[in-house]
Amino acid sequence: MSGGEADDGPERMYVITGGRSEAGGRAAADLDLVTLVVARSVPEPGMAPEHAAIVRMCQYPLSVAEVSAYLELPVSAVRVLLADLLAGGRAEARAPVPAASLPDAELLEAVMHGLQRL
Amino acid sequence: MVRTGTPPAGPRSAPPLVWMLPAAVVAACSVGAVVAVQAAARVPVAWCGAAATAAVLLIAGETARRGRTVTVLRRRQAEHDATLQRRLAEQEAATRRLAEALLPEAVLRLQNGDTAAEVLRAAAQTAAKDPDFTPAHQAVLRTVVDAVAAEEELRDSAQRAFVNIARRVQAIVHQQAQDLREMEHRHGEDPAVFGDLLHIDHGTALIGRLADSIAVLSGARPGRQWSRPVPMFSVLRGAMSRILDYQRVDLHAVAEVAVVGPAAEPLIHALAELLDNATRYSPPQTRVHVSATEVQSGIAVEIEDGGLGMGEEARERAERALSRASAGIDLDDLGETPRLGLAVVGRLARAYGFTVALRPSAYAGVRAVMVIPGDVLTTLPPPRPVPRPGTMPPPRPMPTRPAQPRPGDRAPAAAQAVHASGAQEPGPQDQPAGVEHVEHNAYGLPQRRRRTAGAPRPRPGGAAPAAHARGRGPAPAPAPAREPVQPGMWLAAFQAGVNGEAPPAAVPARWQGDDSSDEGQ
Repeated sequence: MSGGEADDGPERMYVITGGRSEAGGRAAADLDLVTLVVARSVPEPGMAPEHAAIVRMCQYPLSVAEVSAYLELPVSAVRVLLADLLAGGRAEARAPVPAASLPDAELLEAVMHGLQRL
Repeated sequence: MVRTGTPPAGPRSAPPLVWMLPAAVVAACSVGAVVAVQAAARVPVAWCGAAATAAVLLIAGETARRGRTVTVLRRRQAEHDATLQRRLAEQEAATRRLAEALLPEAVLRLQNGDTAAEVLRAAAQTAAKDPDFTPAHQAVLRTVVDAVAAEEELRDSAQRAFVNIARRVQAIVHQQAQDLREMEHRHGEDPAVFGDLLHIDHGTALIGRLADSIAVLSGARPGRQWSRPVPMFSVLRGAMSRILDYQRVDLHAVAEVAVVGPAAEPLIHALAELLDNATRYSPPQTRVHVSATEVQSGIAVEIEDGGLGMGEEARERAERALSRASAGIDLDDLGETPRLGLAVVGRLARAYGFTVALRPSAYAGVRAVMVIPGDVLTTLPPPRPVPRPGTMPPPRPMPTRPAQPRPGDRAPAAAQAVHASGAQEPGPQDQPAGVEHVEHNAYGLPQRRRRTAGAPRPRPGGAAPAAHARGRGPAPAPAPAREPVQPGMWLAAFQAGVNGEAPPAAVPARWQGDDSSDEGQ
């Protein structure tokens, strides 16, 4: 067979996710594309490379979609991996700030104008 | 016999005495009778005596002659017998040599790939000494060699057919795996579809391993080749990817090394077969533990299962399967061999210098230890740089987006300028500052500029003289000196230099002429 195009590794996706396609666990249930993930530990030897990479890149909050893009893994696979990290307490998920809780534009404008008048 | 033939040589020296003795006796008797009888009867008696003496003399002479003949014949016979016996012994020796030395050697040479003609020629040089036997022995040899060669050829063609089929299956599986990977990315957001795709992907990988096994047993290498070193962790997970019960495999303490590209695929395949054996012959609820640790001679991969283990006899049988595969296996054995995997592992181990040992495990199961020699190991490739979102610059796609519009209106112009080989003046003229701008490709990497893009650069000053340089050859002398970037120029100059005829200025002048004519169009 033709060789050389070794873009992908020899491992297949199902081994990376351990055969799971859906994140289990309560904490993982609300993992959204825009859920922010932040690591709660540092990469340790013995972790799977993908877990270590997530922990490394999530020292600063990162959305699930971004993690998926950086790892070049499908979102479902990333969700599975994140669920492992969440279950192990190595990472924390933060729901995005809901739009309703943001102060409305008028208030912000008023504040801005007030500041400008100072 | 020879000795028995020699005594007659002694009596032969005195035959006159021996064979004349009866005649002498008869003659003496006759003389006695003549003396004894009366005178009247003497004459007849004398005649009778003479006749009898003559007759006896004749018979005795004849007898003696025949005796000599018999002796000669007997001696000749004895010599003949001796010759025959010697030849018989020689023939026996030659036949034994044919059976014990020549034929096995000929078969061995045939199996090693020599042609039948070569083997026969080599055998003819060491043929029997006796010319009478040589043709017969050659005939025997030729018959056997032909038969063996035909069989070898049959086996070769069968193996080629197997490899061919395996390669086709591998190609399909490989394509399928690539497609599936794309689909997994495309449908990654739907867990149900993603799960189904993973399921199909797994099944495809199992087919691929079977095809790889057939290829290996037929004497070819397993399917893929990796151009870059593969980390040990990926090798082990790649092996896990190809077995049915990969979820039962635990990876512990994997050494931070990589396997060089050419050895990666055989290693993955051999480990997959060992993992398959470990998971297949242990209860489904038990785990299989895998570790890869550094040892003096390389890396030792240990695969331990919690199965029933193998008795000493079974273990010996398995080791025998490993070693027999090392010595080469028949395709005939493919049919019912339950542990096909061990044959594959043995063959790969022999070809790539791994050593595999099966030992009782501390978990009462089997512990397979594969030692990978250090010469196929290398350091880990540098990990992919992890983006640091907290620090500037922001994530990857960002820098390309603002950069895109700026060269957007200029880069095509520059490209046109390139293709028109400097005919378009405006392009370079409104790009004096953009010359230093580094373009980025879609992945945010700086893109190498084509050197030809710089060609028009000196032209704003030199183009106007070049336009009316057609008539006056030497006038734009500085212009060729500042024009080192025309594509293919260096090659033309090189060729001119090699030919030893053209002065260096001749070629630029020709190019300028082309430019001018382009301008004229």
